[in-house]
Amino acid sequence: MGVVMPLKAETAQARTHQVVNEDSTDIALFVRSSQDDMIGWNRQRIVDALLRETFIDRDTAEKISRDIEVTIQAGKVKTITGPLIREMVNAKLLEMGLEEARRMHTRLGVPLYDVDQLLVQHNKENANVPHGPEATNLTLAEGIKKEYALLHVFTPDVADAHLSGDLHLHDLGFIDRPYCSGQSLEYIKKFGLNLPHALSMAKPAKHAEVLLAHMVKFAASLQSHFAGAIGWDAINLFYAPYLEELSDDGVKQLAQMMIYEFSQQAVARGGQAIFSDVNIYWEVPKHFVDVPAIGPGGVYTGKTYGEYEKQAQRFAWALFEVYKEGDAAGRPFFFPKPLVHITEKFFKTDGHMDFLHHICEVASVKGNTYFVFDRGDTAKISECCRLSFKLEASDLEDAKQPWKMRYSALQNITINLPRLAFQAQGDDTKLFLLLTEKLQLAAKAHGQKKKFIERLMSLGKGGPLSLLAMDLDGEPYLKLHRCSYLIGMVGLNELIRVHLGQELHESDESIKFGLKVIAHMNIVCSKLAEAMDMKFVLEQTPAESTAFRFAKLDLAHFNTEAEKVVQGNRGKGEVYYSNSTLFNVGANMSPISRVEKEGLFHPLIEAGSITHIWLGEAQPDKEALAGFVINVFKHTQNDQIAFSPEFTACIACGKTSRGLSESCPYCQSKDVDGITRITGYFTKISSWNKGKLGELHDRYRNIDRFNN
Amino acid sequence: MTLFTKDDCVLCAQLKKQFDLSAMDVQVEVLDNNDAGALAHLAWHGLVERARKTLPILVLDDSSALHEFPHIESRLLERAARCGVAARRPGKQAGCESGSCALR
Repeated sequence: MGVVMPLKAETAQARTHQVVNEDSTDIALFVRSSQDDMIGWNRQRIVDALLRETFIDRDTAEKISRDIEVTIQAGKVKTITGPLIREMVNAKLLEMGLEEARRMHTRLGVPLYDVDQLLVQHNKENANVPHGPEATNLTLAEGIKKEYALLHVFTPDVADAHLSGDLHLHDLGFIDRPYCSGQSLEYIKKFGLNLPHALSMAKPAKHAEVLLAHMVKFAASLQSHFAGAIGWDAINLFYAPYLEELSDDGVKQLAQMMIYEFSQQAVARGGQAIFSDVNIYWEVPKHFVDVPAIGPGGVYTGKTYGEYEKQAQRFAWALFEVYKEGDAAGRPFFFPKPLVHITEKFFKTDGHMDFLHHICEVASVKGNTYFVFDRGDTAKISECCRLSFKLEASDLEDAKQPWKMRYSALQNITINLPRLAFQAQGDDTKLFLLLTEKLQLAAKAHGQKKKFIERLMSLGKGGPLSLLAMDLDGEPYLKLHRCSYLIGMVGLNELIRVHLGQELHESDESIKFGLKVIAHMNIVCSKLAEAMDMKFVLEQTPAESTAFRFAKLDLAHFNTEAEKVVQGNRGKGEVYYSNSTLFNVGANMSPISRVEKEGLFHPLIEAGSITHIWLGEAQPDKEALAGFVINVFKHTQNDQIAFSPEFTACIACGKTSRGLSESCPYCQSKDVDGITRITGYFTKISSWNKGKLGELHDRYRNIDRFNN
Repeated sequence: MTLFTKDDCVLCAQLKKQFDLSAMDVQVEVLDNNDAGALAHLAWHGLVERARKTLPILVLDDSSALHEFPHIESRLLERAARCGVAARRPGKQAGCESGSCALR
């Protein structure tokens, strides 16, 4: 509906009289409709919309439409739009106390001013989204879907909890997709690239380069069906049958192609590079040793994967050679993130120390390597910033047919822990009661998202999630019944500071109480999982923007309490809470002490944890880091570690230097950008939100900790 | 000394039957689905993953841990003797085929 154009000048009173006595269809007004056309004024459209979209009765709808008509005719408006008429109707509904009808009749949209700002200014909610037309498309679409989710998918109590900052529903702009996906390359090796709605179908690849092309395209398709990370299991092993004919140079070329393909995918959704992870093993994981290998053309090679160890190692080595070199300007590759699994078998496999030195050199020089510790019989697939799916008995059964191995978390919800401490006022019982309530609310929200995705999935191959409904192996690609539902936490450190008066790193008592909080979360999740038959698991949510959002909201609504514990620089607005169960990033702790103490929490957080070791400009010896990694594996409970150096990239001369500088040490240009790890991935610092900038400033750099 | 146990763990039950643990000043932590304190205590000792494989676990005063049943039994027998507390003679070790002797 739209532009109202009175044909002759009249007094308001006269027009009001006229309108009331005329059939509305006779009024020569035109409305600019939301369907991009000009239509004649018709009061009945208001009635129809109210009856179609709400539960109010016809008489009330008629009355509202007449009142609106009177108001419109009484005003000297030159133009009127459909959205404005809808808002007038909504105001009327509100005036009449019909709140539920108003909610159902809501129009989702974005103010003109906001669109103008979005088109011009960089949205820094996610540092992996660049600034450009595709990115603003993404932001605008996300804005509408966020509103839709909060109004229509979640109940008001859940939506209010999100809006007020009690908890954070991640990726609301992607409400119609699951959160993330981990899978095996075997799916496309076996079935080729056979995607619903694709213009052509490709048979299983016969050559390594073609397999790579399939992998990249499939990853891009998955990115448009999942909100977050796309992870690949044992990538070097599953490529191995394609590598036998390739020389070492050929293998390195393939490794280079893979890394460049994923790191230059800034042409995909919203201009956003695919958040991609590759899981790498030096050994052949036990559960794949006897599995028949699929080779070129999607046919079995007659060998098992256990026989491809050397080929898999060649590829793993080559990948890290490429990571060590960095991109054309010597910068670290941001994606795909290489996650190396350190296992008991790793240390029994020939060449492991050479490989460990190799990946530690990369960790020191460029920072790419993630060290994932799978102790004992644990096996897992890792992705995102720290998420991991532990392989259970049914998963290990699937491993016999690895294309069946695909894992997804449907949604991620983070709880604002410091706020609970503000509300509990030192009372343990109240603290745990409040925490339980928030966990119950998070579980309820997960149930609501599950129901919504089930609805979309039920539309099958003709529905919006046709890719996830495809069933090439007899099961939908998305195995809904096996999805995880993530529950995370922000600000355990600040909760402890409020409740006990000390931060986590300051006393054993603080750590013990922190463990009790997380143990409580773990236990309540287990109970809720049993009661609702859904797999609720704790994860250290990355909280790239959530740690900032919670701090800002608490400063606004719990100012007296929050200003004592919020981290960062309040003057600059660079405020944040400590991420998840991490200790104060600025605490002067030895790296091993941080890894050990933060690691005590990791076994309670089953869907993934990480400890960051900030290197600053330091570049430790590979031998020193290798010794450190072995120590961590053997003597701590830590789940995953990453070493993060910092770089300055000069836009003027194109060179990259070590450490963060305000000007380029080569050409002295001030046109530089910093690069380091934001949460679980590398990005340009110019794209960081204020909270993360505050954290960057506070980070304790382990400058001389390793080589001495 | 702390003995980490579970209610439906047959090996834990065997030890509780065999020894008067409170008289021996051995703290017993029961890892059920209601006690965050016990689970946190286990995590403090870095034993959650170990407990997912096997229970009971005995944490000694120097914070080292024993998880092999015969070693735990032997250490408790020593403690009982030192405390002058009677203990039943070791019997046949209970079986744990059901997998209940582990943290779920």
